[in-house]
Amino acid sequence: MPHQILPHTADVRLLVENETVEGLFIEALQGMTEIMKPIEEINARPASRRISLKAADSTALLVDFLNEVLSMTEINHETYTDIVWQHFSERRLTVKLIGRSVAGFAKNIKAATYHEADIRKNPKGNFETVIIFDI
Amino acid sequence: MIPKQSLVKIHDWLWEIPKSYRHDMRVPARVWTSEKMLEDILGDRSLEQAVNVTTLPGIAKAALVMPDVHEGYGFPIGGVAAMRWPDGVISPGGIGYDINCGVRLLKSELSFNDVAAHLSSLARELYHEVPSGVGRGGTIRLNIIELDRVLKDGVGWAIKHGYGEDQDARYLESSGALADADPSAVSEHAKNRGRDQLGTMGAGNHFVEVDKVTQIFDSSTAKTFGLWQNQIVILIHCGSRGLGHQVATDYIRLMQKIMPRYHISLPDRELACTPLSSLEGKNYFNAMAAAANFAWANRQLITHEIRNSWRKEFGASASQLSILYDVAHNIAKIEEHIIDDKPQKLIMHRKGATRAFGPGHPEVIEEYRAVGQPVIIPGSMGTASYVLAGTKQAMKESFGSSCHGAGRRMSRHAAKRAVQGGALRDQLAKQGIHIQTGSLSGLAEEAPLAYKNIDDVVDVVSKAGLAKKVARLEPLVVVKG
Repeated sequence: MPHQILPHTADVRLLVENETVEGLFIEALQGMTEIMKPIEEINARPASRRISLKAADSTALLVDFLNEVLSMTEINHETYTDIVWQHFSERRLTVKLIGRSVAGFAKNIKAATYHEADIRKNPKGNFETVIIFDI
Repeated sequence: MIPKQSLVKIHDWLWEIPKSYRHDMRVPARVWTSEKMLEDILGDRSLEQAVNVTTLPGIAKAALVMPDVHEGYGFPIGGVAAMRWPDGVISPGGIGYDINCGVRLLKSELSFNDVAAHLSSLARELYHEVPSGVGRGGTIRLNIIELDRVLKDGVGWAIKHGYGEDQDARYLESSGALADADPSAVSEHAKNRGRDQLGTMGAGNHFVEVDKVTQIFDSSTAKTFGLWQNQIVILIHCGSRGLGHQVATDYIRLMQKIMPRYHISLPDRELACTPLSSLEGKNYFNAMAAAANFAWANRQLITHEIRNSWRKEFGASASQLSILYDVAHNIAKIEEHIIDDKPQKLIMHRKGATRAFGPGHPEVIEEYRAVGQPVIIPGSMGTASYVLAGTKQAMKESFGSSCHGAGRRMSRHAAKRAVQGGALRDQLAKQGIHIQTGSLSGLAEEAPLAYKNIDDVVDVVSKAGLAKKVARLEPLVVVKG
C-alpha cells in the first residue's frame, strides 16, 4: 500500500512507502492532496510553481517540501498533481509543481510536522516514513 | 505508552511522572485528571510527549498536563511549560501552528424567550456573514503595509478602522495586542497566506455558537461578569489562520537547523527550540506576538460580523453585544510566578491551555480583579460550555493555567465511522440545536462522541482548585466551516 492513514487522536498520521526516495516524495504529496480533498473549479487555470529547498537530511527535506507545497496551495488557491524534478539529492531539491487552480478544499491542513517523521528502509526494502499533519 | 504504575498519585486530581522515569528528564511531569479519565489519557501518546517536554533546557518546576489533554505532535495538546527567562528556550512547537487560537464570549441583553423564534434565521444569517471553510477568504484583502499595521496593533487596528467599539480592547487578554510584535520577523509567505483571511473562521473545530446560560454556580462572580440565567451569549473559537501556521512552520524549520549551535539535542524534532535570548529566539517571539495580534484582530472582525448579523435579525435598535472576555489558548508570554518562594520571570508556553489568573493579579482588569480572570471553556459541538474564574491556587500550582476545552478522545476517522454528518445534524436538531455547516463530513468529525465529557474535564479543574465554576452554557446555534 503506497500510502495509508493511521489512527491519531486529533490530527492525521499518514504512512507513505515507495521504492525510491523521490517516489516517496511524490507519494507523500499525493497522500496530502487526498487528505485535503480539492474542490474543483469550473474553468480551472493550469498552474506551475517552482520550489527550491535545502535541509539537514532527507526526512527534513520531505517535511519542508510538503510545507512549501501547503504554502503555495493556500497563497495561490491551487492544487498540485505532478512534480518535474530539476534537482534532487538527499539534502536539496529544485522542482516544478504542476497543477491547477481550485475553488477550495474540504479539509484544512495547517502544517506537516517533523514529529515521528523518519525516512527508513522497511523490511521489504522500500523507503517508508510517517508524517503527522496538523489539521 | 507509559504504564499507569509509573505515575505517582499526589491527590485525587493530580498525578506525577517522577523525574526518575527517564534519564533525560530535567523536571517531573504533572497531570491533572481523575483516575477514570487517566485510563483514556494513557491510551495515546500524550504523556510520552509530556515527558519529552521535560527535557527542554531551562524548564522550571514541572511540565504540566491538563485534564483535556490529548496526543499532539511535539507537545501534547493541553500542555503548559515554563522556561526560565531569559536563557531558557522558546519552542514554537510549544505554542503550536495555530498561534493564539482562542475563544471570545459575547454577552447579549436578551433572554432565551426573546430569541427563540429567531434561532433558525439567526443561524443562516451568521453563516452568511462570517466567512468559513477552507481556502475561503474574507471580504478584506490587505496590502502588506496595512497587514503590518494589523500585526503591530492587533485589535487596536480593527477598532481604529471601525470594526468595534473603543471599550472592546479592555475586555481581551493583553488588551488584544502584544507589544513585542514585530512584522519584520514575519515572512512574506506568512503575510501572503494571511492577507485575505482576516475576519474568517476557517474550518476544523473552529465555530461561532449561540448559547443559553443554563446554570449559575457562583452568583456573585456571575454578576461581576454580567452573566445571568437564560441569557443569550455567543462564543467565537478561531485563531491566526494561515499566517500563524506559516510563522510556526518557518521558525520550527529554522530552529531545528540551528539547534546544534546552541548544543541542544532533543528526543523529538518538533520540539525544536533556541534560547529566548538568542537572535532566533527573539525573532520567533516577536513573530509569534505579531501572529497573536492577527488572531485577536481576526476575532474582532468576526465580532463585528456577528454584531451585523445581530442587528439584521433583531433590528438596529437591538441592544449591543458586549465582550465578556477573550482568552488565548496557544501562546507564549513572559510572566512572573513564584518558584521556591521567589518571584521569577518565566517564558510561559501554553498549548491547548488557558491562562487562569486569580483574584488580585494586576493583569486582570479592575472590573474582574476581585474575582479572578474569566476562563472560557468551550465544550464539543452540541454539548455544554463553561465560564470559570481563575484562582490563587492556580497561581501557585499551574502557573495560573487551566484546561482549554473538552479534548479529543477519538480520531476523526473513528468519529466518521461512528456517526454520519446528516444523522448527527438531525439528532442535534431534535435537541433544539440549529446547525449551519459547509461540510457534513467535517460535522461528523466534530461529533460529541469524539470528545471527552466536558463536565468531567471541568469537574477536575474545579475540584483541583485551578478554576472555579461560574456558569454553564448550552448551545442553540452552531455555525462551522
